Amino acid sequence: MGRKKKKQLKPWCWYCNREFDDEKILIQHQKAKHFKCHICHKKLYTGPGLSIHCMQVHKDKVDKVPNALPGRNNTEIEIYGMEGIPEQDLKEHERQKANKSGTSQRSGQQDDDDDDDDSNDMPPMPNQFMNGMPPMPTSGPGPGQYMPQPPMPPLPPGAMMGPMRPMGPMGPMGPMPPMGPGQMGHMGMPGPNMPMPPRPPPNFMPGMPAVPHKPAMPPPPQSTAAKPLFPSAAAAIQSTEVSGSPKMSTSMKPTFPAAAAITTASSSTASSISANATITGAPVIKKPESSSGLTSKLMHPDEDISLEEKRASLPKYQALIPGKNTIQQGMPPVSRGPPQSQGNPRMRPPVPPPQGMMAMAQGMNIQGGPPMYNMPYPGSGSNFRPQQGGGRY
Amino acid sequence: MMGETPNEFQLNNPPSDGISAVKFGPNSSQFLLISSWDTSVCLYDVVANHLRMRYNHPAPVLDCCFQDAVHCYSGGLDNILKVYDFNTNSGTNVGTHDAPIRCVEFCPEVNVVVTGSWDSTVKLWDPRTPCSAGSFSQPDKVYTLSVCGDRLVVGTAGRRILVWDLRNMGYVQQRRESSLKYQTRCIRCFPNKLGYVLSSIEGRVAVEYLDPSPESQKKKYAFKCHRIKENGVEMIYPVNSIAFHPLHNTFASGGSDGFVNIWDGFNKKRLCQFHRYPTSIASLAFSHDGSVLAIASSYMFENEEMKYVPEDNIFIRNVSDQETKPKS
Repeated sequence: MGRKKKKQLKPWCWYCNREFDDEKILIQHQKAKHFKCHICHKKLYTGPGLSIHCMQVHKDKVDKVPNALPGRNNTEIEIYGMEGIPEQDLKEHERQKANKSGTSQRSGQQDDDDDDDDSNDMPPMPNQFMNGMPPMPTSGPGPGQYMPQPPMPPLPPGAMMGPMRPMGPMGPMGPMPPMGPGQMGHMGMPGPNMPMPPRPPPNFMPGMPAVPHKPAMPPPPQSTAAKPLFPSAAAAIQSTEVSGSPKMSTSMKPTFPAAAAITTASSSTASSISANATITGAPVIKKPESSSGLTSKLMHPDEDISLEEKRASLPKYQALIPGKNTIQQGMPPVSRGPPQSQGNPRMRPPVPPPQGMMAMAQGMNIQGGPPMYNMPYPGSGSNFRPQQGGGRY
Repeated sequence: MMGETPNEFQLNNPPSDGISAVKFGPNSSQFLLISSWDTSVCLYDVVANHLRMRYNHPAPVLDCCFQDAVHCYSGGLDNILKVYDFNTNSGTNVGTHDAPIRCVEFCPEVNVVVTGSWDSTVKLWDPRTPCSAGSFSQPDKVYTLSVCGDRLVVGTAGRRILVWDLRNMGYVQQRRESSLKYQTRCIRCFPNKLGYVLSSIEGRVAVEYLDPSPESQKKKYAFKCHRIKENGVEMIYPVNSIAFHPLHNTFASGGSDGFVNIWDGFNKKRLCQFHRYPTSIASLAFSHDGSVLAIASSYMFENEEMKYVPEDNIFIRNVSDQETKPKS
């Protein structure tokens, strides 16, 4: 009934059931008790934040929120103060309070002993979940939430961990001053240094399927919730990953042209560094857009060749290149019909295109016609220096 | 005038086209070697702020290095490696590659000059003769290389990284794939020889360790930098240049955003950022004692539609320990 609902429930800590007079204090409590890194004592903002911090900074896995009640130590649920508490638990909590409210106005921390009181309709906290679960009609992942190591659903932070670890964003570098507020942001994730924006509880219920009390609760929140919130993060992360996550890394890499060409070096007694050696990705042919919520623009030409190669193809530079054996002509990618004919007298006849050539051709993503080294450029003597367009002047 | 701060000045008469590399002499911060797309290699006296010597290649020069205080090597689009003797004021062609020479480095430990080329080879040159001392094929065009004691780290197109032992070039010590997803732009080794720093065209820098043991490898990481947000769009710039402070093992990164940052790679901290330079940072070099940083600000044709081409400039900046020393 309205009255009861109205009745001010004190903020309480989902992890340990303790009540507080003020949500600020609750947050302080959570930071100190539940989100503190056991290694460096940094206080993080959320459980996932803590676990990511430990993974990135200390390479240590934290799969339980410290000082939490048995069923409440999930590191993948994001709770910040009262935000993010699964609705089911909120309800349960309210109910307990309602039941008790008649008897005693409990003011403080002793929620832990709730267990004793709930005798009648509520089993003690942890078990209560156990109850709640079996009847889960919806998806499999549901139960995960209450397991210390939930299998999957609340994907975002936890799952990222793996791949993210070796190459975190600047994340681990605590105080990098002005990376710009967002820099960290798009790296996404409740990064260790990033206060987690509190989320409205109802939407955030990662692995939280329907609940006994509320069978009507649709499963969608589960799927819409965490994952899509940081879609970019996934991208960002994968981008830094070395080898660990093949499936992720393939997603954005269109092709593997050069990768194929790569295996030709001399001998290969290499003392392996196998850890990184997997060929997961390939050179970017086209820059894919990269991470971040914002649109991002890579300030680089589209071809996956170096700036110097691209520049060298400008006519004004090509003209300087001695006719000797190699670099002959890159048509200006622009106008000027490619007057290339195979017969430059000055060319050493068939310069056997060394492996470099092929690689070059490949790496070059010929579209605008970047320089074809070795291509004769009729009329371009070595000392002929046209200043025509495309150049810098 | 830009950059006329007490601890920074611009070089007079800089090269007339893009600057490809700046390098300080081995034992004084007085001389700076500059290679340029205007086909010249110049030796500047930065103390007097004037041009001391200059020679030309037939074509743009992509890199240069000092061998000792009086000899330098240079190579570029003409495929020719030149050695120049400042005493006699004479240059000699040492040899050639089959494609442009992208990188030229000198390794004092092994006393060898190393060149990397778009012909997908690395060649070693004996500076005593001087003559070729071997050609070693690489998986792809060489984009960057760095020597570190007797080790050579080569970054090629296709995001390949190879670690060679200059004393035994019979085989590749380590083959790696870049941990960055985008084209490798620059690799520089830590002066303490533990590892190297790698930058990509996509505003990102990785710190990596040479020791292949899992403990060392665990320490590697990467971070984003050289990105600017404007009107809700994040512009991501290539990180063109890395230069290590010779004493502190900290490093400067220069990006096409025109910024120079100094980082403490071991402690994962940024130590400082300088003001924004007029255009892309094409090359950076610390002097032998780390007291001076040369900053080449030179447009690199990142953006094809650019109408106005900014001037090429070289800034000489006196840096303090505060800016370059790890804070501990």
